[in-house]
Amino acid sequence: MSAERIRRLVAMPAGLAVVLGLLYLWVSGQELDSIERRTLNADYLVTRVTDHLWLTVLATVLVVAIAIPLGVLLSRPAARWLSPVVLALANLGQATPAIGLLVLLTMLFGVGFGIALAGLVLYAVLPVLRNTIVGIQQVDPALKEAARGMGMTRAQVLWRVELKLAIPVILAGLRTALVLAVGVATLATFVNAGGLGDLIVNGIKLNRTPVLVTGGVLTACIALLVDWVGGVAEEFLRPKGI
Amino acid sequence: MTLFEYIESRRDELLLAAAEHAFVVALCILIATIIGVGVGIAAYRRPRLAAFAIGTSGVFLTIPSFALLGLLIPLLGLGWGPTVVALVLYSLLPIVRNTIVGLNGVDGAVVEAGRGMGMSARRVMARVQLPLAWPVILTGIRVSTQMIIGIAAIAAYVAGPGLGNQIFDGLARLGSVNSLNAALAGTLGVILLALAFDLLYLVIRLVTTPGGLRA
Repeated sequence: MSAERIRRLVAMPAGLAVVLGLLYLWVSGQELDSIERRTLNADYLVTRVTDHLWLTVLATVLVVAIAIPLGVLLSRPAARWLSPVVLALANLGQATPAIGLLVLLTMLFGVGFGIALAGLVLYAVLPVLRNTIVGIQQVDPALKEAARGMGMTRAQVLWRVELKLAIPVILAGLRTALVLAVGVATLATFVNAGGLGDLIVNGIKLNRTPVLVTGGVLTACIALLVDWVGGVAEEFLRPKGI
Repeated sequence: MTLFEYIESRRDELLLAAAEHAFVVALCILIATIIGVGVGIAAYRRPRLAAFAIGTSGVFLTIPSFALLGLLIPLLGLGWGPTVVALVLYSLLPIVRNTIVGLNGVDGAVVEAGRGMGMSARRVMARVQLPLAWPVILTGIRVSTQMIIGIAAIAAYVAGPGLGNQIFDGLARLGSVNSLNAALAGTLGVILLALAFDLLYLVIRLVTTPGGLRA
């Protein structure tokens, strides 16, 4: 790996560490009142961060488990007529506000972690599905012909040619799912499912700037870190030669 | 009360919210287009600057909207301030990236020809390069618009304008008669607005694409 690439990989976590360090110094330099102390302690913060990451990871795993096999199925010749419908649906889904979706789900099914998870999955599944379909469709038909001509079966062509070539696009979809999930998870607070949104809401409602800033900066740093992990995964999981 | 009756009974309130929503989105896209195309023009021939511009606007896009809106409150207070700044920051990446890609896609020979005809570099940019790159730039603007229409709904929590207020009103009155109707009206309103904007972009594309580029 070139020095330039290593530098690019290290720059983001290093920058985030500096930002978090500055945040810690700033908060510990403040005279905190009792309300602020109730949220700005290790216990409260660790619970929120864990909830947030747990929600994000679980949603991403579910999204990948649903969207990628479904995308492969929809790209098969027998189901190809369905894919424009799904793509149109995906565009419409993108226009749906995440907060509206979460609130509607809550009204219909109640509050809690499960509902927030369902909202996250519903919201992120369509973009990843779209990426998978597009990624498999853009594989050069001549390559598929050639593979068939070499005597591969349809299943072999799918595994060894189409999916391999679609991996960069699918990985990009995975990264998108991660970033979407981490963002929408901040809204989980509105349906009583915890996460870092709790801190931001407390900060706004109680008018406590240290709480608000801690919530905002922590959330931003975690989102950037999750995106960075996605980027590293893209870098290392990509087949050699693509 | 059915959703239809709800919409009927609050038509003025809903129309005002939709108009505010559309206005704040249009305003932010206008600002982001001016900034984004400007940055793109400055950066498209300088790879390091281009990477920096795309990287920075990518960071904005990665920060969850609720966190960014919250972080802007200590600086800008509640209401339109944080809403407009956050939405502009979110719109930048697709516009900057597509401006750079679009301008780099313009055939160098065409630029040469313009210069050879005696046009200044500025004039070549305005009369040749930008019009040729415009369809790509417009696609970026459209992607940004679709994205911030949804994000604008969250801005209602920081006292921003628009249809998000219906959604949060519904949530605040969870369990009361019209809470579901309010949340539904807000959510469907946002989706309809997104479709309307998409239609508008089809028209803009037809009208503003230079004659020679139309298929």
